[in-house]
Amino acid sequence: MTTIVEARGVTRLFPMSAGPVTAVRDVTLAVSIGDYVAIGGPSGCGKSTLLHLLGCVDTPTSGSVLFEGRDVAALSERERSRIRLIRIGFVFQRFFLLPMLTASENIELPQAEAGVPAVERRARTRALLEYVELAHRADHLPSQLSGGEMQRIAIARALANRPALVLADEPTGELDEATGEHIAALFDRVHADGTAIVVVTHNPGLAARARTQVAMRSGALAGQGAGA
Amino acid sequence: MSSFGLAWKTARRYKARAVLAIAGVAIIGALNFDMLLLSKGLLLSFADMINAQGFDVRVVGSAGLPAARLPIAEASRLLDEIRRLPVVEEAAMVRGEAASILVPGRPPTAGVLFGTDHRTGAGAWTLVRGTGFEHVRSGAVISTALASAFGVEPGMTLRVKGRLSDRLSALPPLDVTVTGVGDFRFEAAQEFIVATTLETLSAAFGGLSRDEADLVLVASRARVSPERTAAAIRRVRPDVRAFSNQDVVENFNRNNFAYFRQISTVLSATTGAFTFLLVATLLTVSVNQRLGEVAALRALGISRQRIGATLLWESALLVGAGGALAIPIGLALARVLDDLLRRMPRLPAGAHFFVFEPQALASQAGLLAATAAVAALYPLWVAVSLPIAETLRREIVS
Repeated sequence: MTTIVEARGVTRLFPMSAGPVTAVRDVTLAVSIGDYVAIGGPSGCGKSTLLHLLGCVDTPTSGSVLFEGRDVAALSERERSRIRLIRIGFVFQRFFLLPMLTASENIELPQAEAGVPAVERRARTRALLEYVELAHRADHLPSQLSGGEMQRIAIARALANRPALVLADEPTGELDEATGEHIAALFDRVHADGTAIVVVTHNPGLAARARTQVAMRSGALAGQGAGA
Repeated sequence: MSSFGLAWKTARRYKARAVLAIAGVAIIGALNFDMLLLSKGLLLSFADMINAQGFDVRVVGSAGLPAARLPIAEASRLLDEIRRLPVVEEAAMVRGEAASILVPGRPPTAGVLFGTDHRTGAGAWTLVRGTGFEHVRSGAVISTALASAFGVEPGMTLRVKGRLSDRLSALPPLDVTVTGVGDFRFEAAQEFIVATTLETLSAAFGGLSRDEADLVLVASRARVSPERTAAAIRRVRPDVRAFSNQDVVENFNRNNFAYFRQISTVLSATTGAFTFLLVATLLTVSVNQRLGEVAALRALGISRQRIGATLLWESALLVGAGGALAIPIGLALARVLDDLLRRMPRLPAGAHFFVFEPQALASQAGLLAATAAVAALYPLWVAVSLPIAETLRREIVS
């Protein structure tokens, strides 16, 4: 299977006034096309830091991250930004939709940045709104949406430029159980449609849907197993 | 969506902040605009006053400026010599003397007796009613202030008496016939002017007056520059000083109006600093409130340039809207301040402290644009340089 992103012996240290903190310690992990990986573990064990390293928003202190074969640390900020725009979709715990833009405008934004022509991106946005079953909410502002609806719009935004990989950091963390279940089902669909997913979660229901479950403890991988 | 569109929507979304910024910039910008008007206002109005007289060269007796009382000796001979110059279209002699205006039942009132050999008064006034004095023996044109203060109208007689400042005066009063009432450009508040011929002026001083003039006004022929005319006059009479109007204005600019420039520069810099602080503070607070949002956008691959451009547009929108409002507010404020300042004693009626000119508008726009750009620099730096992963982690933890 083609590898999308691969962490090789990655360590990430954060310098602190009281001494450096090792957030990720010597982690090796590969995510390939068709993968659905859930990363679990206690708070502060380095899950989000690993996700940021895989998503090219951070670079390791040692070891290397290869995204589609290219060493991320060797890329310029502009190149990393381009990879994040085109090849990766991010879903955050707090949604981070732009509050002044409507649902459809939020989905259009990454496409506009990628230079997708207006007609094409409107069609893509309509399709994505239907995909997340929120076509009727296209012109609503985030403040007019529920938490679950905002997260579905955020997922649609993450899919806007047809990424190879979606990275989700506690996507159900702000949602109730039923809504979280709805979001988990949506991730299943995204995965079934051919997008690789890495999700950091404390939600056992969401983690159980992943094909691979990775446990972290104190910055290191503590175990790996097959999921659904 | 363009950076401008994002900035526009952001400003609309955070209305209270936008209104606060726009109102602040409008008020500070109005003050700044007024400072720009003040910096050259007196000079421009002075230039307007002397240019409106229809003469482009002014001749005075010795070193100094034409506003000073520096009499020209043998003025009639000088006038003849000037009039004979081929570059000269016309020339007029003017002279002012202190006088008392005598109205029955009232104490003598101080005034100025203004004499000229020019048939329409050398452009010193604009007739409001009546006619000039040229066809009436001992005729006079009086100022509107004098006419309204004493209820004097054309056809009536006014009694004036010359005042000699350096000796006791036993001069007899002289009756002049008021032929017209005019607006005198150089009339100061409460300084009543009676304009007449040089002969009548001399008669008011019992015929003792010397052949002197305060000023000779010269109009150059068409296509002759005033500098050339002034040089020709200086060649003929090296004992006098001839200035083009432009020279006079520049002399005033160098020597008499430096205070206004300095005051306006200091106040402009101060208001500019306030605008910068206001916009920079609001934008910085705004960016700090949205750090998670900015970090998320960058994680999504939105470029630094796009985020930076959006912030610059946001700054430009706030400062631009405030700056546009600042112009009418500044003009209204300038009008009020001008009215207050023009009550100063001995200020010519035509003088204004705040005068609009297109260059002031351009300077205002330039200053505000620069302020908007500089004010956006720090928040822009914060937004484009924030560590994405660390900011996202902090947002979750908080």
